[in-house]
Amino acid sequence: MRRKSRRTGSKTVVNLVLALICLVWLVPAFGLFVSSFRPATEILKSGWWTVFPHKENVTKDQIQLPKDTDLRQPIEVNGNKYSDDELRSGVKAPDGSRLIWENRRARTIDVQGSGWKMNTTFTIENYKGVLTGKQYKITDSDGTVKTKKGNGLSRAFLNTLTVSIPATLIPILIATFAAYAFAWLRFPFRKTMFVTVIMLLVVPLQVAMIPILKDYTSLGLNGTFLGVWIAHAGFGLPLATYFMYSYISQLPKDLFESAFMDGASNFTIFTRLILPLAVPSIASISIFQFLWVWNDYLVSLVFIGSQPNVQVLSMKIADMVGTRGNDWHLLTAAAFISMLMPLAVFFGLQKYFVRGLMGGSVKG
Amino acid sequence: MRKTNKTSMIIAAIILVFTLLVAACGKNNNAANSESPSQSTDPSPSVSASPSASPSESGDAGAGASALDDALAGKFKGTKVTMFGPFTDADQVKFEDAIKDFETKTGIDIQYEGSKEFEATISIRVDGGNAPDIADFPQPGLLGNFAKSGKVIDVASFMDGDKLKANYNKSWLDMATMAGPSGNIMAGIWARSSVKSLVWYPKKAFDEAGYKVPQTWDEMMALTEQIAKDGDPAWAIGIESGAATGWPATDWIEDIMLRTTTPENYDKWVKGELPFTDDIVKNAVKKMSEIWLNKDYVYGGKKSIVTTAFGDAPKVMFDNPPKAWLHRQASFITSFFPQDLKSGVDYDWFYLPPIDPQYGNPVLVAGDIYAMFNDRPEVRAVMEFFTTGESIKTWIQSGGVIAPMNDAKPEWYTSDVERRMAELAKNATTLRFDGSDLMPGSVGAGTFWKGMTDYVSGTVDLDGAMKEIQAGWNK
Repeated sequence: MRRKSRRTGSKTVVNLVLALICLVWLVPAFGLFVSSFRPATEILKSGWWTVFPHKENVTKDQIQLPKDTDLRQPIEVNGNKYSDDELRSGVKAPDGSRLIWENRRARTIDVQGSGWKMNTTFTIENYKGVLTGKQYKITDSDGTVKTKKGNGLSRAFLNTLTVSIPATLIPILIATFAAYAFAWLRFPFRKTMFVTVIMLLVVPLQVAMIPILKDYTSLGLNGTFLGVWIAHAGFGLPLATYFMYSYISQLPKDLFESAFMDGASNFTIFTRLILPLAVPSIASISIFQFLWVWNDYLVSLVFIGSQPNVQVLSMKIADMVGTRGNDWHLLTAAAFISMLMPLAVFFGLQKYFVRGLMGGSVKG
Repeated sequence: MRKTNKTSMIIAAIILVFTLLVAACGKNNNAANSESPSQSTDPSPSVSASPSASPSESGDAGAGASALDDALAGKFKGTKVTMFGPFTDADQVKFEDAIKDFETKTGIDIQYEGSKEFEATISIRVDGGNAPDIADFPQPGLLGNFAKSGKVIDVASFMDGDKLKANYNKSWLDMATMAGPSGNIMAGIWARSSVKSLVWYPKKAFDEAGYKVPQTWDEMMALTEQIAKDGDPAWAIGIESGAATGWPATDWIEDIMLRTTTPENYDKWVKGELPFTDDIVKNAVKKMSEIWLNKDYVYGGKKSIVTTAFGDAPKVMFDNPPKAWLHRQASFITSFFPQDLKSGVDYDWFYLPPIDPQYGNPVLVAGDIYAMFNDRPEVRAVMEFFTTGESIKTWIQSGGVIAPMNDAKPEWYTSDVERRMAELAKNATTLRFDGSDLMPGSVGAGTFWKGMTDYVSGTVDLDGAMKEIQAGWNK
């Protein structure tokens, strides 16, 4: 009995800690979410948390000072003298209220007390601008103004899918083949090759960019989907191979032996035994690889570029803010739209994810 | 026995991977070197995918019909010209609109690709042998590096020099001339410009308050003091800009330099011959500090200068009533103004007045220079097209750009606000390019920005800041 209660007690503590960590992780995302519904002018004026009821100084009364009040001398308000600096940042009057400039030019002072307030100005303009493209006003040679519609995210969204799906499937398929070979086949230099692949994990992909770009230029692969698939496949292979190896090598040996006895070839073993057994593991590495490719900016920047017919989401979003960053407020909404797909993939494959993470950790 | 075998294999693998790494890093270093300005002084032209224009070619191109005429005659129908530049979004739409007519007339397809990471990407592309046919450089300093390494085609080799002289102010042509691997070349042509010496103000409120546009620096300081007495800080200033924080401060210094010293000194300063630690430069910074470091003159005081984004800074001028009244910034800043404002009614600009009458009316400009990386007849035609005002006509009409070419007609500007800018640049006694864009990256896009930020935020004093900036020249 006692033991059980102690266990539930520690469970509560763990849950509390986890909840706290979740909260800390969620706050920025939530703030972004709230901001994506606020107009740009409001974002500049106040933080996203002010959409909740909060205590704020609320103006109760106004005092009009003589127009010729010299601001560089102590200023007399209701018989007390304050400096200009005090009135700028707000100062407590003897009666408990707070005095602050409403308009220095007009010499009006707000008398404030604290009260509850919440900001409720919301808009869906940000999402509209992101989804349907912005409107540009262009004056024609004869002086008429025509409105031109820019591109929305839809094309880039499809492009990103075109990049991400093959760039996830190709390396994982190859990695699973390789992992099976490394784990269960006997061939010369097996260990050396495997260690080499693992060591490639520590090579940063940035060092390979310019050499690969040169090769791509001579092969004519720049700015094509094929080029970026190959690049992502190459960069993703070491981790995927290692991940799949750790799972496949832990499968019981007897399974393969009996399959061999029955006359199964390596290919049959792979398709009939390995693939079905490795589904959790494949699913979790798929999530990793998909998220990486989906969010990637650098590889697409170098190998695809930003021609509209191939441009991916991450680059389109960056371009959306305009040449000088004047439309930064669109970023919040665009970020949420680009998050939809990874979220869908994650929740779709989530039940495998937990199983896959433990894949290879316990023998048997 | 087995164990030693295993260990030796692992060692072999480690060595293998290490060699791989070293090889990869080595390549990367080479690439980085050819990008950095200090390393690219090597006069031997590096391997370039593009055929460099030889002087012999210049003769036949100049004598016969120009490539542009050929293009208009339809000789290059169906060809493609790739272009790469930093402007995206609205600017890209305007650009594509401006070239549409040319494309349908000639049948040349100009494929423009805009990227926010232009500065970083162009170096990778050129080194990777994937250079675009034409690139749009907002900073001539960066183009200078490519010119030095011999990767840029000399446009003077096929363009008619007299035509260029007729269509551009001499200062523009001088600024396009850069050091090549063997002698000076004309590294590109100026396609767009923006005027920087402008002070924006909320016209309606400004007139209602009874303020007058100042004609001299002293009048401007008197106006500043007047506004302060009336209860508002006069200036809206913000220099935050992410990794580029500090650049608006460099524009101020350049403008004041032009007003307190000779153009020759300015040129020397830009080339690095006049050090930042010199009294002339210090004097300019002091002049700026009279406004910047006075808490009654700047909205939010000096501490908010560093933390306010340059694009957000002017917005307080359009609050009702305005919280600040003056904002010095280049012509592009109007794209940051609230969209419902009317130019010429709600806002307007005046010329940042001269300080010392003996230096006349200097104007600070910036602009985009188009450079050519691949020499093909259709690329030549497109480059020639870009030297005509016609190439940005509709862009001028839709606003946001000033033509550096002389054949752009004043009536193309749809607003008086922009027409006056074009006139200002045309009538300037001294026209100088944004100095920080001409200085090498380690100064112009490095210590100059950072030093000014440190100075304004108060972490270093004037002497310390100038030393810090000057140190960038030695990098």
